[in-house]
Amino acid sequence: MALEKDALKNAIEEKATKSPKPQLYIKDFYVCDPDSKPRVIKNVANEMVREGRLMFWSSGSTTMYGIPSRIQDEDAKAEGGED
Amino acid sequence: MAKHETPLLDQLESGPWPSFVSDIKRQAETKPECWDILGVLELSYEERITHWKHGGIVGVFGYGGGVVGRYVDLPKRFPGVEHFHTMRVNQPSSKYYTTKFLRQLSDLWEKHGSGMTNMHGSTGDIILLGCRTEELEPMFWDMTHEMNQDLGGSGSNLRTPANCLGQSRCEWSCYDTEEVCYNLTMHYQDELHRPAFPYKFKFKFSGCPNDCVSAIARSDVAVIGTWRDDIQIDQAAVKEYIAGNYPGNGGAHSGRDWGKFDIQKEVIDLCPTECMWMEDGELKIDNSECTRCMHCINVMPRALRPGKDKGATICVGAKAPILDGAQFATMIVPFMKIEKENDYEELIDFIEKIWDWWMVEGKNRERCGECMQRFGLPEFLRIMGLEPLPQHIKEPRSNPYVFWKEEEVPGGWERDVVEFRKKHAA
Repeated sequence: MALEKDALKNAIEEKATKSPKPQLYIKDFYVCDPDSKPRVIKNVANEMVREGRLMFWSSGSTTMYGIPSRIQDEDAKAEGGED
Repeated sequence: MAKHETPLLDQLESGPWPSFVSDIKRQAETKPECWDILGVLELSYEERITHWKHGGIVGVFGYGGGVVGRYVDLPKRFPGVEHFHTMRVNQPSSKYYTTKFLRQLSDLWEKHGSGMTNMHGSTGDIILLGCRTEELEPMFWDMTHEMNQDLGGSGSNLRTPANCLGQSRCEWSCYDTEEVCYNLTMHYQDELHRPAFPYKFKFKFSGCPNDCVSAIARSDVAVIGTWRDDIQIDQAAVKEYIAGNYPGNGGAHSGRDWGKFDIQKEVIDLCPTECMWMEDGELKIDNSECTRCMHCINVMPRALRPGKDKGATICVGAKAPILDGAQFATMIVPFMKIEKENDYEELIDFIEKIWDWWMVEGKNRERCGECMQRFGLPEFLRIMGLEPLPQHIKEPRSNPYVFWKEEEVPGGWERDVVEFRKKHAA
């Protein structure tokens, strides 16, 4: 039986917090609730972006999701090259 | 006054063609950051490596696409392009603009960005090149509020749908490509602006098999107009072509004398399925053999037209050559009616059935066509609930691509061989 929306959000947040890499593919969240359809998980993840609980990260060709503070930390480290 | 020495780029201006280097230099007179573009490019030519990084957290709020972050890895040396993000703007159907629209967009981009554009990128969008992070939201606000204009798709989103001129200019268009493209763009706004898939997904709409948006080569779902009855022939016009009274190819390529029009040589002998011939002064076509190559119609547009029972062929799985080489789309549905009356229900059902499968089974960064290839055509057809057809393969008589399953064979795989051999000697 599929999780309630709030429970699914919590599961997604936990997955994004504990994952070794700060950026996750949408598919990585499917394991949070195998009974939910992928499009339901996608809609919930996007709702979490609007709420500020997740953030998009784009490689240019692929868009990923992550916890804002983790992604911002990673991005700050990556930004600014050497001259 | 040039900021960087660019001898290698300057050399590109010496050729006979218009040069992007000259364009960027001209733009740099009012947008000094453009000097740094030339500086970075010159350095890359010298060192033979790129100095661009792309990606990151840039974007506009709530959108997971439409902005592609770009940074230079030498920001102190080239501060003008420290941030140089790309914005993708959803082009109107068939790329019809008013000059007012183009002026407004150009003015906005001069205000917020580098002023450099790419009309159009290979995606089909209007590409605005070069913007600092802090200018993204103001640009988006002005564009949406002053121009009622939205961003296009990027990343793992539905990419901006594209279509040919369709029935707005072309009498061969077998369905209204603009109407479908607009309707599906609006229907799938969420998928266009927010990442939904394992990787990018594109659909493109061509009105006839000439496929002017190259849907068959570039899109995950290619909707290509076709007909299922006979090519319409005006025999009087055929005679006019033969007599030389009508120019072949609609008068194209008329810059030199190609000699008298020869219907045998220029049309009949070039038919890929050899399904045309002349009989008693009339052009005959065996329509059951026609593969809709469009050559005869292209050469004699006043004599030949697509049939009257029109719709589209649906091909799936084209992609560019990032993995395993470029791949053309595979024909999956030979004929589908494309009609607004039912809100394109059949096409939408087809697309969403692909999504439901690919979103589960597709690996990260695996295009739909690659996923199809991994599963195989028979399995893909089974997933889509479609019967195998001879049209699915090039040589149906020699390619046994559909294999029986045990449950489809009476008695399964267990057979009484002795009994069988009584009727069929070894």
